[in-house]
Amino acid sequence: MGSVYAKGETIMEELKNKIKEVIVKDLKLQGLTPAEIDDDAPLFEEGLGLDSLDAVELVVLVQKYFGVQIEDMDEGQKAFRSVNSLAQFISDRQAP
Amino acid sequence: MTKPRRTLSARLEALGHWFFYVALRVFGQRGGYLLLYPVIGTYLLFGRGIHRQTRPYLRRRFPGHGAWARWVDTMKIVLSFGRVLVDRGWLGMCRGVGLDGELIGARELLDLIGEGKGVVLLTAHVGNWQTALSRINDLSVPINSLMHYEEEAVAKHYFDLRNEPVPFRIIKSDGFMGGLVEATVALQRGEVVTIMGDRYTGGPAVEADFLGDPVRFPAAAYSLASATGAPVAILLAAKTGRRRYRLEVRAIFRPEGGDRDRRREEMNRGVRCFARVLEEYVGEYPQQWYNFFDFWHR
Repeated sequence: MGSVYAKGETIMEELKNKIKEVIVKDLKLQGLTPAEIDDDAPLFEEGLGLDSLDAVELVVLVQKYFGVQIEDMDEGQKAFRSVNSLAQFISDRQAP
Repeated sequence: MTKPRRTLSARLEALGHWFFYVALRVFGQRGGYLLLYPVIGTYLLFGRGIHRQTRPYLRRRFPGHGAWARWVDTMKIVLSFGRVLVDRGWLGMCRGVGLDGELIGARELLDLIGEGKGVVLLTAHVGNWQTALSRINDLSVPINSLMHYEEEAVAKHYFDLRNEPVPFRIIKSDGFMGGLVEATVALQRGEVVTIMGDRYTGGPAVEADFLGDPVRFPAAAYSLASATGAPVAILLAAKTGRRRYRLEVRAIFRPEGGDRDRRREEMNRGVRCFARVLEEYVGEYPQQWYNFFDFWHR
């Protein structure tokens, strides 16, 4: 049972790392490495400082890399709060 | 939740609109047009604001006109705008009436939609754009309009006056990320998103020459298109008769994808294209561009 949880946590960690990589590489964030992004830091404004153009690109990147489309805007708004919430959103949508 | 109290000027404005609506119901479109003359005449004779608001555009569009010609230009453009507002009220208040129009470039537009990447319909505050755009609901995909929408506005949309469902889906520009996330999602579904290309409501802006001077145009539309691969169709409306309008696809712009730097270049290219098309439009319909403020020094 414990190994199932451990496996789930590992998958979630990998997902978060992938999200951070995509954010840094595809949004061209200079002077920042994926490891420096806090899981709970806000993605926009006072957190990572992303703007509305980044939000547009992030919607496209989430579909491109994770095959997940944002359908409900309330859900999307919650998903875009942090790396943690985005990972949870993608994970929920990818679940069979 | 209690509604906020209106100021005296807002109440007077509402009273003025009510007066027009009653006139439209009783006397129809012509009655509304007739009522415009004394109202606009009063504004022109006793109000300085309207001359100040139209001057930045008119002095660039008609640089050789003197004071009297400028006064006449102001009268023409305000009258033209008044007629568009009367039409909107008339369509809202009176059942069984309508405008006749044509959509030039419908085939091209349908082909763009057929590509399945969504289409950004870039339009402007020209002609009877609200009425005309609400008539393009036979494009085979849902239409979304990224706009500043006030349900409690004094000058209501005709569908609000009729208590009819809105003929397109409204994406509020004061929503999450200026509505751009919602617009992106709509494009990903292959839908149409209409955006005003000549009114800055937030997000990125790019400078381009318009009527001889630089002006900052909103650029979110090109960024949306570049990110999603959607083409941009510049669609402008013109009022061509008392009950006629003309909608025309004036240009099609395909932003290239690529990295952020490339997308910024595409925004510049897109804005220059839009500015050129709008300049051509005001060359043809000088009294049908309705941005009554200093567009060049916002």
